[in-house]
Amino acid sequence: MTYLFQILNGLGLGMLYFLLAVGLSIIFGLLQFVNFAHGAFYLLGAYLAYEGTERGLSFWAAMPLAALLVAGLAGLTERLLLRRVYKLPHTFHILVTVGLALVVQEAVIIVWGPIGGTVAPPEELSGVMIAGDFIYPEYRLFVIAFTAVLAAGLWWLLDRTRLGAIVRAGSESPSNMALLGYDTLRINTAIFALGAGLAGLAGALAAPIRGVEPFMGVEALGIAFVVVVIGGMGSYVGALAAGILVGVVQSLMATLWPEGARLVIYLGMAAIIMAMPRGLFGRA
Amino acid sequence: MRERRQFLKASLAGALGVSGLPLSGFLRGALADDGPLVIGAPLPISGPFAANGKYASMGAAFAAREAGKVLGRPVTVADIDTEGKPAPAVRKMQEAMAQGTRLFAGGILSSEALVMGKEAAKSDGVFITTAGADEITGSDCNRGTFRWTVPTFGAIAQTVRPLIAQMPQAKRWYTITPQYVFGEGLLGAAKAVFQEKGIEHVGNSYHSLAEKEFSGYLTNAIAAKPDVLLLLNFGSQSSDALRQAVSFGLKKRMTIVLAWASGLEQFEALGADLCEGVYFGAQYWHVIDSPLNKALVAKVRETAKMTPNYSFAGSYQITKLLLDAATKAGGAEGPAVIKALEGMRYSGLTGEEEIRAADHQTIKDYYLLKGKAKSAMADKDDFADIVHSGKSFLSPEAAGCKMA
Repeated sequence: MTYLFQILNGLGLGMLYFLLAVGLSIIFGLLQFVNFAHGAFYLLGAYLAYEGTERGLSFWAAMPLAALLVAGLAGLTERLLLRRVYKLPHTFHILVTVGLALVVQEAVIIVWGPIGGTVAPPEELSGVMIAGDFIYPEYRLFVIAFTAVLAAGLWWLLDRTRLGAIVRAGSESPSNMALLGYDTLRINTAIFALGAGLAGLAGALAAPIRGVEPFMGVEALGIAFVVVVIGGMGSYVGALAAGILVGVVQSLMATLWPEGARLVIYLGMAAIIMAMPRGLFGRA
Repeated sequence: MRERRQFLKASLAGALGVSGLPLSGFLRGALADDGPLVIGAPLPISGPFAANGKYASMGAAFAAREAGKVLGRPVTVADIDTEGKPAPAVRKMQEAMAQGTRLFAGGILSSEALVMGKEAAKSDGVFITTAGADEITGSDCNRGTFRWTVPTFGAIAQTVRPLIAQMPQAKRWYTITPQYVFGEGLLGAAKAVFQEKGIEHVGNSYHSLAEKEFSGYLTNAIAAKPDVLLLLNFGSQSSDALRQAVSFGLKKRMTIVLAWASGLEQFEALGADLCEGVYFGAQYWHVIDSPLNKALVAKVRETAKMTPNYSFAGSYQITKLLLDAATKAGGAEGPAVIKALEGMRYSGLTGEEEIRAADHQTIKDYYLLKGKAKSAMADKDDFADIVHSGKSFLSPEAAGCKMA
């Protein structure tokens, strides 16, 4: 029975990991840009939600506001800084975004201090669901449902709308799109803002579960990369499948071999890189 | 936000107050008898335990500024960022020793403190720490290492024992433990008490030092149906574990005990609602009724507009001990300071304290706190009441200390 509980718990954890990783996957898949500042946008989203609730906003207002602010800030960063290195090798992407992540982390410490804080879940979701011996927080159930709806919405937006088609075409053939009169630079900015905004949303949603502290972005970045590598760089379905896989494995390991929970995730990633270099759902 | 600004102002004041010397003067001072007296502060200034390290840095700077001059030499503190990892800690300590520093106060994590103590001893240095593992003043004790804090044995004795006495009906305990020397020490001590008192240890979950997600371990704990959940982790990990335990509704289903809280900063991060009704073991609490503590709290509140937390206070105390020992010895050379520290009795932050000569362990109180309701808080720092305190220490022989 404990294993069943762990699988259910892992499913919830996996949805959070999907949300964390999907923005990274979108940015890499559509822009071919390696964004090591993804964890920093997650961090900012969490702290902006924290600041909002501290200032008296309801969580329902603070959460989307935090995501929008992060998306706006990311769009600005892309226009002023990141687009200058798009055409350079990936090592430059890493250099610039790691620097950006460090700046954001230190800025968070300067503004909010080194201690961290707690964001209470919304009052109506502060209870727990009890099914026999299984207990699960209502807020985590909400995160699962919300992420599932968001995942469907994102798929629809990117795969089934004219806007999505323009975005995908812009990433695959920017010169042709430019000849057709589309502003590909603006498309890139929108993609980056969307990916970073999703990281900000993940941070805001995670804040009532994990609290906020200045180093949370580093851990988030690690998990996001594991999910994206396992699922396949740029694969939307892969991010969902890998997020759930990582969540379930991590949760099950808490019973089977707790001290090796993290080790197994990274070993699994290494095994998939060796056996399937493009990941489970990566495109050739 | 206002408190964050105060933190920054206080950090800056501390830095300017004691570390504003040009580098060349600083190096000369470390090497010369007539230059500044340098105290190395090896602390995790970056990484997961940076919050603790940064407050500890402020505490060391405060002690130096308060002392002003020792042996006629201006006192200065040199922060050494250990990153919370043994390898960089040792490397940077070696660099500081190459520049002439011999007195060190720091090492928050047991894993880094153990190796730094050995390094200091190799070169006639002195290292005094607040880290917790029994081995530091036990099987790995050495001539150059001292410890102010109560080790894991005493922390468990002063939290688990009084709670067993207070809750005789709570027979089933579950533990969550970080898998490194500190966690193993707490777990070993807890198991010994459980066995002695006829408590059923219904399960333990180990986790890595990098873990942030505790829902899987909590699911295990729920399945074991314990009466008490005993958290044996530290810093942000114990905050994460507690926060997630409360979100799973465990506070209503069992008693939660955090054996080694990291002090006021942890209460501030968690908030009163989360801490209410939870038990916390503590090395220090700002309301302790001792002359030195009252003076420190008043001075820090006046100058830095904050209340000293454990990281600040512990670091202040160990830096002050080094400076007092140098004064007593009449010199800042390692062997002389070691001799002055051994057997020293003094009025410390927790009252009368004594450094045991045989193993360099300070004999002091450990505290059991209980989080109180937000409505019952007298001021913004009044998160908990002290419900028990006392001293519990292994003898140097039982701890396995054979001083070389």
